[in-house]
Amino acid sequence: MTVLLILVRLAVMLELLPHWAYGLGAALLVGTTLEAILRTFRPALLPGLILLLAGIGLGYNLAPAVVLALVGVGALYWAWAPQMSEREQASFWGWLLVWPAVGLLLVWQIIPSLYALWLSFLDRFNFIGQSRFAGLLNYEILLTRDPLFWKAMGNTFWFVIFTVPLGILLATLVAILLNERVRLLGFFRTLYFLPYITALTAAAAVWDWIYHPEFGFLNWVLGTPGLDWLSTPQGIFALALAPLGLELRGFWAGPSVAFVAIMVMSLWHLLGYQVVVILAGLQNIPKEYYEAAQLDGASWWQQQRYITWPLLSPTTFFLSTLGLIGAFQVFTQVLIMTPTGGVLQDTLTITLYLYNKGFRDSDFSYASAIAVVVFIVILALTVAQQRILERRVTYET
Amino acid sequence: MTLPYALSRLLIYLVLSVGAIAMAFPFYWMLATSLKSPQEAQQARPIWVPERLKPANWRVAAQLGAAGGSPLWGGYQNGRSVTLRIFTDRMGPEPQVFIPTAVGAFSDPRAEGTQIRTRYQEDHWEITFTNASGESFRLLPAVVLLSKSYPSYRPELPPDAVRSSGDDWRLEWVNLAPGALGYVFHNYREAWLAAPFGRYFFNSFFTAGTQVLVGLLLAAMAAFALARIEFPGKNLVWLVILATLMIPGEVLLIPNYILLSRLEWINTYYALVVPWLASVFGIFLLRQFYLSLPRDLFDAARIDGASYWTQLVRIALPLSIPGLVTYGIFTFLGAYNALLWPLIVTDRPEMYTIQRGLQVFIGEAGSDYGALMAASTLAILPIVLGYFLAQRQFIQGVARSGIK
Repeated sequence: MTVLLILVRLAVMLELLPHWAYGLGAALLVGTTLEAILRTFRPALLPGLILLLAGIGLGYNLAPAVVLALVGVGALYWAWAPQMSEREQASFWGWLLVWPAVGLLLVWQIIPSLYALWLSFLDRFNFIGQSRFAGLLNYEILLTRDPLFWKAMGNTFWFVIFTVPLGILLATLVAILLNERVRLLGFFRTLYFLPYITALTAAAAVWDWIYHPEFGFLNWVLGTPGLDWLSTPQGIFALALAPLGLELRGFWAGPSVAFVAIMVMSLWHLLGYQVVVILAGLQNIPKEYYEAAQLDGASWWQQQRYITWPLLSPTTFFLSTLGLIGAFQVFTQVLIMTPTGGVLQDTLTITLYLYNKGFRDSDFSYASAIAVVVFIVILALTVAQQRILERRVTYET
Repeated sequence: MTLPYALSRLLIYLVLSVGAIAMAFPFYWMLATSLKSPQEAQQARPIWVPERLKPANWRVAAQLGAAGGSPLWGGYQNGRSVTLRIFTDRMGPEPQVFIPTAVGAFSDPRAEGTQIRTRYQEDHWEITFTNASGESFRLLPAVVLLSKSYPSYRPELPPDAVRSSGDDWRLEWVNLAPGALGYVFHNYREAWLAAPFGRYFFNSFFTAGTQVLVGLLLAAMAAFALARIEFPGKNLVWLVILATLMIPGEVLLIPNYILLSRLEWINTYYALVVPWLASVFGIFLLRQFYLSLPRDLFDAARIDGASYWTQLVRIALPLSIPGLVTYGIFTFLGAYNALLWPLIVTDRPEMYTIQRGLQVFIGEAGSDYGALMAASTLAILPIVLGYFLAQRQFIQGVARSGIK
């Protein structure tokens, strides 16, 4: 079966280079399949394999092939069902039910990921002209000679540092308060959750308006008329420490004012989700713990510190993992609020950079290299996070 | 109970309320701006309640609208006259009235075909616009130049903009025959007509709906097979699904775009739907659900001769409705709110989804913040309405995704 899969993958890879090769690959595939069936002699596998092929065909819009395969399987089943053993039935239905999803996943997720890896080794792949194999050239440029990539990585880093702990802390506070048998719980929860379901495009447009330099609401509230939040590329640390005579540059200048504005908006957007998840986590903590603590004379603060916080750690861990992955996907709000990536690209994020490279500069290989690096970084970070943080997570037994 | 208790309760409500206001404010601001005229929106001091929200103005707007067309949506139909009154304490210089000509137009049929008459009655100027052009129009824009020598003046319908122009006040109306709804929802109507939002909405609903319905079926089928059927190769399938779980979305943008363009699917519904039909999230969620159902249920059905398909449709699906709803809401939200993918695979307006259309509209609307906020409100309206109708499902669905 594994061999089969590799063959499918190869066939698809080939299909993306010269067109006719897919037919050859498919023929090869069918041939090997038939051969495998004859060799192992397990007839029940036959419909399953046909179905897997059909699933792959569906992904590629080979409608006739899919219909044919389905009809074939139907006929097989009809002729076969009465004498099918229980096991054969199970395998038939198992594959029948699983094939569309698995076929689609293979075609649109697994194979494309491998294809992205392949693309990243090519030299300037786009639809025009011939590209050639360039080995690790893209990675070399990306990691050693591309300040924009590191700018985007730095921004992602600040995004995680600023929004994840702050978001979880704020959400925990709100959730704990909401959990204190508050009246109007439904009302508050509805309001807090509302931003999360609104489209980021519209929400970003609203915040863009709130941040407007001349007529923005924020400038009126803060009494800072004319402050152009979204076009201020100075880092906040640099601004904060400038009066002390310290001059911070580059990464250490911190996220720009514009990027902080975007982070605030993102925090607002996500907070409701975090509140709801944490609230659910809180409601899972048995009341007896608090009652026992109260009998022992623990203060409110102690109860939160020694009961709520540890028992909530699986939830906060889940949210922080999500926040980490989410930071790499920040795109919509940046595109709407600072369409060009801000002054001096100060609000550039990884996904925006990838989008610019791929779809504005039409450099698919370079964009793929970015994607692969992101993939590896996310993988490494989540693994590290599991290793380091999960040890401190208290799971209730 | 005791004072500290009451105090702590007060503090809780205080903190929660402050937070709630901060969360809700952008929505209020969006709504308020969407009802403002450009001049109202562009004030250094924010205007909390726009003129268009004041009921007294609605009545006048309805009267003017009725004179020109209908009391609800107004209009400036052929042969009708619309009369505006401007109250002044005494008679003074006669106001100059004209219909602004669109920028860059050589002539404006409306301006040419309109007869304007002004006369003073007791305490007000009466300005009558009569449409003699032989055509009907949706809007009646008007400009009145009123001398600054009047100590005070009050037009029946507040002007959308007041500017100083030499010795005169220049009063501008975007529409003098608005009708009640046409007055309040002026920005909404103009935004709606400025871009094919109807088409955008259809595209969004169609693609999101297809994605939910087909995706649910596929995920339920796969999840059921993985949870309840022992078949050869199951471990391999599970491996494929687990591997998919690790792939971040960014990795797929480029290769899927290339694949779609090779299939010549760019600017089609296929491109918006097919790549995201199979969802690992859905399979995981529903599999969890089916595993939690008692095994005996399925064994009993099996003994009674029910095929696996019957078990799925008759037992598993009805029992997993909460899971299906969760998954459906998530998928719909994700598809409806997505911008990145529609941005990549569509570049023709007839294929834009609402978010993509809104993004383009934001680029084009420039500084017309009223229209911009109106379009944004329209874009989030269906989801917000659905949320208010099915809050419990939304919130529980999301909460469920967190605990696993």
